[in-house]
Amino acid sequence: MSLRGWALAVLLGLGGGAIALSAQSGIGFQPMGQAIGVGTHADPIPGGGGRTELRLTQPVLMGMASAWRGRVQGTLTLNFESLTIPSGELTPGAWGEGYVDRRHPHTTVHELVVATPDLLGTASRGISIGLVAGKGFVPFGTDDPMVRPFLRYPVNHHWAQVLERAIVVLQAERGPVTVEAALFNGDEPERASQWPLLRLPDGRWRFGDSRALRATIRPLTGLELQGSVASILSPEHRPAAGGVAKKRSASARWDDRPEWGRRYAMVEWAHTDELEGTFRFRSLLAEASLRRGRWEVGYRVESTDRPEEERLDDPFRSLRPHLENSILGIGRWTIHTARISRELADPDLPLRVSPFVEGSLGSVRKLDAGVFDPVGLYGSTSVRQFSVGVVIGWGMRHHRMGRYGVLSTTHDHSYHTP
Amino acid sequence: MSASIRLTAVLLLPLAASACSDPPVAPIDPAIVTLVSGNNQTGPVSTVLAAPFTVRAVDDLGDPIVGRRVRWNPVVGGGTITPGEGVTDANGRASATLTLGATAGPNSARAAVDGGSAEILFSATATAIVANPTPQLVSVVSVPPTYGHHDTFVRDGLAFVCAWNAGVYIYDVGNGIRNGSPNDPRLVSNLITATNGVPGGAQVHNAWWFHNPVTNQKRYLFIGQEGPGTVGVSSSGDIHVVDVSNLAAPVEVATLNVGQAGAHNFWMDEARQILYAAYYNGGVIAVDVSGTLTGDISNRIIGQVKPGGPNATFVWGVMLAGGRLYVSDMVSGFWVLNPTTLATLGGGNNVPTQFVSDLTVNGTTAYTGGWGTRAGVRGNTIRIWDVTTTTPAQVGELMIDNATTVSDVAVTPGGGFLVATAEGGAGAGLYVYSLANPRAPVLRGSVAVTGGLHTGEVSVINGRTYVFTAKNPGAGNTPEMRVYDITGTVTP
Repeated sequence: MSLRGWALAVLLGLGGGAIALSAQSGIGFQPMGQAIGVGTHADPIPGGGGRTELRLTQPVLMGMASAWRGRVQGTLTLNFESLTIPSGELTPGAWGEGYVDRRHPHTTVHELVVATPDLLGTASRGISIGLVAGKGFVPFGTDDPMVRPFLRYPVNHHWAQVLERAIVVLQAERGPVTVEAALFNGDEPERASQWPLLRLPDGRWRFGDSRALRATIRPLTGLELQGSVASILSPEHRPAAGGVAKKRSASARWDDRPEWGRRYAMVEWAHTDELEGTFRFRSLLAEASLRRGRWEVGYRVESTDRPEEERLDDPFRSLRPHLENSILGIGRWTIHTARISRELADPDLPLRVSPFVEGSLGSVRKLDAGVFDPVGLYGSTSVRQFSVGVVIGWGMRHHRMGRYGVLSTTHDHSYHTP
Repeated sequence: MSASIRLTAVLLLPLAASACSDPPVAPIDPAIVTLVSGNNQTGPVSTVLAAPFTVRAVDDLGDPIVGRRVRWNPVVGGGTITPGEGVTDANGRASATLTLGATAGPNSARAAVDGGSAEILFSATATAIVANPTPQLVSVVSVPPTYGHHDTFVRDGLAFVCAWNAGVYIYDVGNGIRNGSPNDPRLVSNLITATNGVPGGAQVHNAWWFHNPVTNQKRYLFIGQEGPGTVGVSSSGDIHVVDVSNLAAPVEVATLNVGQAGAHNFWMDEARQILYAAYYNGGVIAVDVSGTLTGDISNRIIGQVKPGGPNATFVWGVMLAGGRLYVSDMVSGFWVLNPTTLATLGGGNNVPTQFVSDLTVNGTTAYTGGWGTRAGVRGNTIRIWDVTTTTPAQVGELMIDNATTVSDVAVTPGGGFLVATAEGGAGAGLYVYSLANPRAPVLRGSVAVTGGLHTGEVSVINGRTYVFTAKNPGAGNTPEMRVYDITGTVTP
């Protein structure tokens, strides 16, 4: 049986196995959820001028289950952004899945993953072998922006995370080192109701046409170093006519929780080559937050390249699926974001009620002689965004989305939130 | 007639010829003639009936009579029939095709077989072409979703469908090689050209079937490969030469590369055997395509020009008309060149607020489309140019609402109508304008197409006017070749 065949068998078998095991051994279940009510003013927008919108973003419900003394885990995340922000979230610089200067809504079934963190029962001997299957995050890059301290998705979301794919991940962990290898489908979603494409009508497999490898090292308590590579076939063209995106990511993350609160910092480098190096995009990002008592402040700076594409009559949309492989140029977005929030609920409780104020200042400039013209498009090269809102959540305060199997048990808080 | 009598007749022929001044008349066996097919068809006036009239001649034993003369004549309706005279084939059959008369009503034609038992009368009905502003969709051909169908070249009843990484598809849409028609395109063959190392694959974008009047050959199909690039600054992709001597088995025989630039639309001076190619940031090239084409033909480039200069040239299209070479440059506007020297005669830097797309020239009037958004201005306009002189002067403008791009413009044969395709919004679709006043086109009819039409190729086949369009893939939809019959649209 081919590697793809084995992976598919795992994809289907783990699901059935999990149901059977759960039935035998009882289920531990942990519900979580989150939503952010926010008003955002962005200036400029395509065509010039500013716009203010009130939206409910990131409305998610999560269920995390474990069975058979934690040897089988399940994750289900439902995301209702297709209902609350069908036209996307106003975010200058954001792009992907046919949305431009708006962050696209995610698919309704955001995660549906079954994992075993100790497949061979060897964890007690210092080596854990994990297996993950389902729809979810590819082991590549850094944490999803939804579980980081800022409302604003960074411009580099599509360079630094790969999500909503059909995945099979094999994990190995020994001491502070975790290595993950994944097979998945290259296509990213075209709409909220869409599932990953496993096979094309002509019989070619989409599942398994893309691969990722991530190594994570934790040399000190609180410090996590990550390096990952991925080869993704035609991410923006579901029928697989596009080229291969070669991606690399490296990051260092600090996260500790002294008695007085929390310290978090992350620096990240991401690079993507498309069409054999015809287009090269890079991103540098650094962010930090400090929580003391009920107050939390955060700051992020990023400098990220973005492909500038032909827009439709709706200037917040670009053509999908693509008709050709050309772009209008590359824009470099440099954005500074600052945030302050106050927790109203007891920090020791799973409930989270956090009003916040967040502002971004930045600029965009063209990197080449292409016809992309930020002044012509926006009327300015300056970027401003201001948001006021409140995060309401349950159980998600320490959650790191997309950390499955061996990564969920010993280093994160996914299955340990009170 | 027995074999011995037939032999006697042959032997006596020289003697008879020497004795008489009139040529001898060989006795003709009686033939039993029957109507095989084609009777009672209906078609629009002045068009060729879909199926030929066919008769069959047999002898009294029922064996086919071979080589017997059959004369065809129109009887009623004023139509024409071809051939006027023929002979029966090995099966005793003979056929002819009727072009219906110009007036609606009954048509008929007669087949008379030498020695035949009776003349055969075929009947047909010519229907009036009803003026109908709305283009009529008559056929849809799905194209593999490898980015889709970009352009179509139609000639001699064959449609060359340029379908990106699925290659070029050759369809019979009236040629007869596969009994296809615009209403029923029949696949003849498919070829995926070489990638030539260009990232992204074959990327078959456009084609031109070269009918060489010098050699009378129809051997070469030129294909443009549109590789990846950055609009305004870089492009990639080669010209591929395909030998279509055998339409059922086309073979790629030559390629042409222009360094650091990629091919887009073509035009040809067939009499001079010169191919003009828009080459984006490479400007315009002229290629000598005489003789046999094989291997690398890059040394056949006889001219190249970047009308907007080295940093402001991104040529979309070229067209030869009235002894001038017209050029649409996305960045630097609408130009007029000398087709022999490629020297600039006039124009340029005349559309600063839009990116220019396709062009077409009709006498002393030209039309250019717009593309995308430039400095906040959408490309949803058709600019109208006076090209009486070599300095084009804009004299008007048409706007297509709720679109960003007019990606193709063309004029129907005779110059009576302007056809345009639009993309990028709810206004995407096919538009047909009357050119009763070429400087002030009036919308005659249109049809909205979700996802938009990338290009439209106008062709007259069997008396009817069609637009072969390239439909973009929309969400969940496959790309298609959509054939619209605009005969009613262009009928007053």
